[in-house]
Amino acid sequence: MTDTSPADRLDTAATSRRSVLAGFAGAAAMGVPGVALAQEAKEAPALAKLVADGKLPKLADRLPAKPLVVTPIETSGTYGGQLRRGLRGSADHNGILRMVGNQGLVRWNMEFTQVLPNVVESWEVNEASTVFTFKLRAGMRWSDGHPFTADDIVFSIEDCCKNSELYRSVPSPLVIANKPGTATKIDDTTVRIAFEAPYALFLEIMATPLGQHPTLFPKHYASRFHPKYNAGVADLVKAANVADWGALFRAKLGDIEIPARWGNPEKPTLDPWVVEEPYTGGATRVLMRRNPYFWQVDPQGRQLPYIDAINFGISQDVESLMLDAISGKLDIQDRHIDTLQNKPTLSQNMAKGGYRLIELVNSGSQQCQIYFNMTHKDPKMRAMFANKEFRQALSLGIDRAEIIELVYLGQSEPYQAGPRPGHPWHHAALAKQFTDHDTAKANAMLDRIGYGKKNAQGQRLHPDGSKIFFAIDVIPTLYPDLVDTLELVKRHWAEIGIDCKVNTIERALYYTRGDNNEHDVAVWPGSGGLDPMLDPRDFFAQHPQGSRYAIPWTQWYVSNGKEGEAPPDGQKQRMKLFDEARGTADLAKRGAAMKQLFDLTAEAFETVGVCLAVNAFGIANTKLRNVPKKMPASWSWPNPGPAMPQQFFFG
Amino acid sequence: MLLFIARRLLWMIPSLAVISVLAFVLIRLPPGDFVTNYIATLAASNEVVDQNTAAELRARFGLDQPMIVQYWKWISGIVFRGDFGFSFEWQQPVGDLIWERMGLTLLLTFSTLLVTWAIALPIGVYSAVKKYSFGDYFATFFSFLGLAIPSFLLALVLMYVAAMYFGQDVGGLFSEQYLTAPWSLAKVWDLMSHIWIAVVILAVSGTASLIRIMRANMLDELGKPYVTTARAKGLSEFRLLVKYPVRLALNPFISTIAWLLPNLVSGSIIVAIVLNLPTAGPLLLQSLMSQDMYLAGAFVLLICALTLVGTLISDVLLALADPRIRLE
Repeated sequence: MTDTSPADRLDTAATSRRSVLAGFAGAAAMGVPGVALAQEAKEAPALAKLVADGKLPKLADRLPAKPLVVTPIETSGTYGGQLRRGLRGSADHNGILRMVGNQGLVRWNMEFTQVLPNVVESWEVNEASTVFTFKLRAGMRWSDGHPFTADDIVFSIEDCCKNSELYRSVPSPLVIANKPGTATKIDDTTVRIAFEAPYALFLEIMATPLGQHPTLFPKHYASRFHPKYNAGVADLVKAANVADWGALFRAKLGDIEIPARWGNPEKPTLDPWVVEEPYTGGATRVLMRRNPYFWQVDPQGRQLPYIDAINFGISQDVESLMLDAISGKLDIQDRHIDTLQNKPTLSQNMAKGGYRLIELVNSGSQQCQIYFNMTHKDPKMRAMFANKEFRQALSLGIDRAEIIELVYLGQSEPYQAGPRPGHPWHHAALAKQFTDHDTAKANAMLDRIGYGKKNAQGQRLHPDGSKIFFAIDVIPTLYPDLVDTLELVKRHWAEIGIDCKVNTIERALYYTRGDNNEHDVAVWPGSGGLDPMLDPRDFFAQHPQGSRYAIPWTQWYVSNGKEGEAPPDGQKQRMKLFDEARGTADLAKRGAAMKQLFDLTAEAFETVGVCLAVNAFGIANTKLRNVPKKMPASWSWPNPGPAMPQQFFFG
Repeated sequence: MLLFIARRLLWMIPSLAVISVLAFVLIRLPPGDFVTNYIATLAASNEVVDQNTAAELRARFGLDQPMIVQYWKWISGIVFRGDFGFSFEWQQPVGDLIWERMGLTLLLTFSTLLVTWAIALPIGVYSAVKKYSFGDYFATFFSFLGLAIPSFLLALVLMYVAAMYFGQDVGGLFSEQYLTAPWSLAKVWDLMSHIWIAVVILAVSGTASLIRIMRANMLDELGKPYVTTARAKGLSEFRLLVKYPVRLALNPFISTIAWLLPNLVSGSIIVAIVLNLPTAGPLLLQSLMSQDMYLAGAFVLLICALTLVGTLISDVLLALADPRIRLE
């Protein structure tokens, strides 16, 4: 039809009345979209048709006055297609979040180093980093066409996050120095969030998934389920047979990371795709279709997303996801298939499955961080683990080259902790101290600090004559490679007379032992490789479920000294330095504070590492364009979200 | 008979009460709770739960209360309001979640059962009657193979072969376009063209063991004097077999009905997970793994109730089929 003009067809078909009519019908059906095509369509054909039928307002009325212009990674795309991705049967809602739901006030750049405007057009921060004034996009709309204004943000923060019936404590991204921020509307497109203490990291945290609350709850829809705005909520609660309005609110509106966020097709969102078939207990797939009011465009002013729909297939079994991957049934995937053992299989079948591998830069720093419990309940063990020279000796006892060669196929380097090489804050001593393999020195150190006595088998003894023995907790289902690593470490340590056991346990037990401070030694991948400010758990006792070398100290830190155990001065200094860095907007000053902190961490040598965190990988359909060859893999940079899947397309 | 049934039904009440306590305690027994598991699952993808939220979740779900209080909350809801509670994970009523999957589960279990019996009974009788013949060895060989191959492995191999060499998708019960389509003839046909794979895989191991049981039972009966007598009286071989020894050999099959009902829910979990079937099994396993207490509890209670009912039905049927059995 595009080859011949309707006029030509009229001439050739003049003899038959039927053909003439058909010709007219053809011309009429082309209508508006046909004309739009000639001038480069600014919206997807399906939407253009709805506009032509009068079922949807014109594109100009759907977009904000200044939409966010997204520069495609390779080239501008074409509309259409359905993207296939896999989810696991249970607790995999964040797989949707990473792909679709990354629409916070601000977002990360591709390099994970800088915060860029997203929902907001621009912002201003006062000198003290306490008041943040955000300028919203005039004319921006929720996915149901209702305007998105400052009221929505104020409602989300003041009426939802700070409502003690909905959130017993305010979500921590909105809290600094134990006081939640206050959101105030200046006018329809200006909103101010003010804190009582400096909160320089606020913007960075707003760019992470946990910082999405301000854009999560559409006031016009959510207020129906909120007693402040709807006196009749009690009836709704009764009709839904739930315990209280909070439960109903959560079932309808969800929260940042619960499955219910993707369970209600009615809920308006700001995401590029909206739920058509929800993620519920019985679902076998989740289907999301383009948001006609999505507020981002490409440089030609064409509305995103390019791809019509996303189809998340739900697999009960992770192995069957692998089958889907190698038979080319997934368009972009890394979740659940990115283990080291899968890499050879996936590389082998690239041509057959029609996909390519993409590199995911590990945002962590350490592949296998070993946490000796320095606050062990048994005084004898506590004395041993808290002895810095003991930990240093054990670190020298590890043959890292062998582990890297055998377990990680040479894809890493000996490492302790701290920001990755290449990061501006990389700290040489913190990263590389005590990574040599030196059994003589290790033995000498152990002899010197009072563990010189040995039994008949050559195993070292505590000063009281009992044998040194400890268990290293590891979760085999989560990190099979760590079990292999630890088996080698155990052998290396046997050579310096230290006996231990690799304690493979189920994950809930691992957490329970940690929470109750019952573990001897635990391993976990070390964090803070690319995001040292966001996850500093290895640099001081910061995370009650992460800094496993001294859980009671973290409790002291988190509770402001009310619970747990008081840490030594070096820790207290670091806690102060971190709070200071977190309150400093000036990057150079913040870096200086963190440098001091890293110096202290290197000096204290609390954790023992093995090697630099190994990069992961994912697959992408060879036809899928605008996917970066390399991107960070992180929760704070929820890949592939910040690479903007809305600008992916099938070429 | 009616008295017997009434008495058995009455006995079920205390049994169920004890079972409900046991089920609840057992689900709570592993270390940690739903929140620990939730955090751990997210941690597996390097995802973090906001610390304030984690503490709050426990309070919201009532996990910080003593076990007896939690049990009472659960059981009183069931007894007084027929309300099985809310699933922690899905924030949906437990009843809806289970019923949603029951239809296909029933279909799958019954078709598997029919296929199993249709294959196993004739082959079992045949290999007993023609003992040590070629056909017997052939059937025996294959039934041992069927017994030896775990069905989930068979499913995995089949899926791999189908995906790698035929480019076909064997998982699930529907093609993509029918997944959410309303029921129609075309959809039923689509279901049939998918379900047979699952049925065959599930039937393989069941068939194998049933062939062995049937063969052994028949061999026990075939040597008995009444068979010889009947044969001496000139009864045709077919009528003789079907009327006497087969009927007696069937008793163990009737007893299996007792396991059949609970199997509706909990049978073939691994195969269902591997083949990605939308049946009740995977949901049960998931709920147990994540310690989603109310969902798991409802499942365990349902399975136990079905076991009790199944036992009763098989007892009654046995009495009807075999006059030698007395209910008193």
